[in-house]
Amino acid sequence: MTHPDMSMLDVVLDVMQALLPVIAFFLLFQYLYIKYPWVTLKRILIGVAITGMGMVLFLGGVFLGFMPIARSMGEHLALNYDNWVIIAFGFIMGFLATYAEPAVRVLCKQVETSSGGFISAKLILWTLSFGVAALVALGMARILYDIDFRTIIIIGYSLALLMMWFSEAQYVAIAFDAGGVATGPMAVSIIMTMAVGIASGAEGGNPIVDGFGIIALIALAPILFISALGVILTRKEGEE
Amino acid sequence: MTNSTKDEAKDVLTATLPIISVVLFMQIFILQSPLDEILLFIGTSLMVIAGFTLFLVGVQWGMLPIGEAVGAEMPQRGSLLFVVVVMFVLSFLVTIAEPDVRVLASLVDSVSEGMLDRTQLMFVIGFGVGFFMVVSALRTIMGVSIKKLLAAGYGLVLLLSFFTPEDFLAIAFDAGGVTTGPMTVPIILSLGVGISAVLSGRRDLSNTFGFIGLASIGPILGVMLMGVFLY
Repeated sequence: MTHPDMSMLDVVLDVMQALLPVIAFFLLFQYLYIKYPWVTLKRILIGVAITGMGMVLFLGGVFLGFMPIARSMGEHLALNYDNWVIIAFGFIMGFLATYAEPAVRVLCKQVETSSGGFISAKLILWTLSFGVAALVALGMARILYDIDFRTIIIIGYSLALLMMWFSEAQYVAIAFDAGGVATGPMAVSIIMTMAVGIASGAEGGNPIVDGFGIIALIALAPILFISALGVILTRKEGEE
Repeated sequence: MTNSTKDEAKDVLTATLPIISVVLFMQIFILQSPLDEILLFIGTSLMVIAGFTLFLVGVQWGMLPIGEAVGAEMPQRGSLLFVVVVMFVLSFLVTIAEPDVRVLASLVDSVSEGMLDRTQLMFVIGFGVGFFMVVSALRTIMGVSIKKLLAAGYGLVLLLSFFTPEDFLAIAFDAGGVTTGPMTVPIILSLGVGISAVLSGRRDLSNTFGFIGLASIGPILGVMLMGVFLY
């Protein structure tokens, strides 16, 4: 269990602790400088209250259900199933997390437009989804076969930095912004927690060293892919 | 820009249902989980779907206008120092309120059995984002190219990764990923764009690119430095 003694009340307190400083800061600003009329102010405060209610339900579901379930599921998989099952499973989860994420679709459309239609949004979506899937599978393999995370991440970011020199600034910025696009709440609450469970269940696994890093790999896929696309598009523009 | 509640709900369902289905499939057919565990998962899935939808609607109504108001009003009111301080404080506060950041920090705290404290980790992540938001704003004023700054930032990340203790390395890079959550991204963008537009006197679209990429550097470096110096 992630928080065996965590109750809904703790979640409510946690959300209040998260939002009250933001509200206090805004009210101070409102009082000193912005001076919105009451109608606008009321709308904002209702919005923050809705945010808070949403966070309570969301974090409640994640802390009380998703995290303990995903973690014990990971442990169970590592103890009872072959490595290839877990790696295949990681691949599927990585693919679905990306393919289904609305923010990824927005990004694909944005890249299609920036490339002047040279590459279609659909092609980008499929490539990105496979890229993230492959990296999550690699992340699972790393836990099971004890591959050094440092090596993977250093190679990944060195490649990204290298490609930067051959790419226009525009594409570089989009590539690094895109890092976060597939690391949504489902990836964080289910895939990451499951990886920690797998690391606890795997033979000789150390969850603090081996369990983390999946989110980093999910972020790396779009960075590498769009950087590579940037190099190609920059070269193509140079020829024209 | 403002999405209706129906659109938000549709987006949330599209994003969550595939993974929820896979987990349910596993519970039923592979793990043969007890019924109460399956029901717990279904129940909490409904909470997550409803909660995430409400959350996104609330961010549009409440949090986003806060970011826009502060981003647009502030530079006209005070000195550069004032702008920098306010920018830092708001991005710090919004980052530590980000649900993704809270989930990561909770997991790290629980896995390390309290060795890596949840609050401490959230503060380091928030501090990192705040610091790099200030750097991004200064970049816009001074006209440094985004490419150079990204190269310098990620170059530093690469360099430090050779010296970071193993316990902190993966967590540091994960911290960079969770920063770009559903609360921070819209607010960081509106704050950053508003401020750089007013300060530099031009509302150039390319100014908006790169802010998120830069903001992710802060938490990575922050957690790495925490590992190098504190442990």
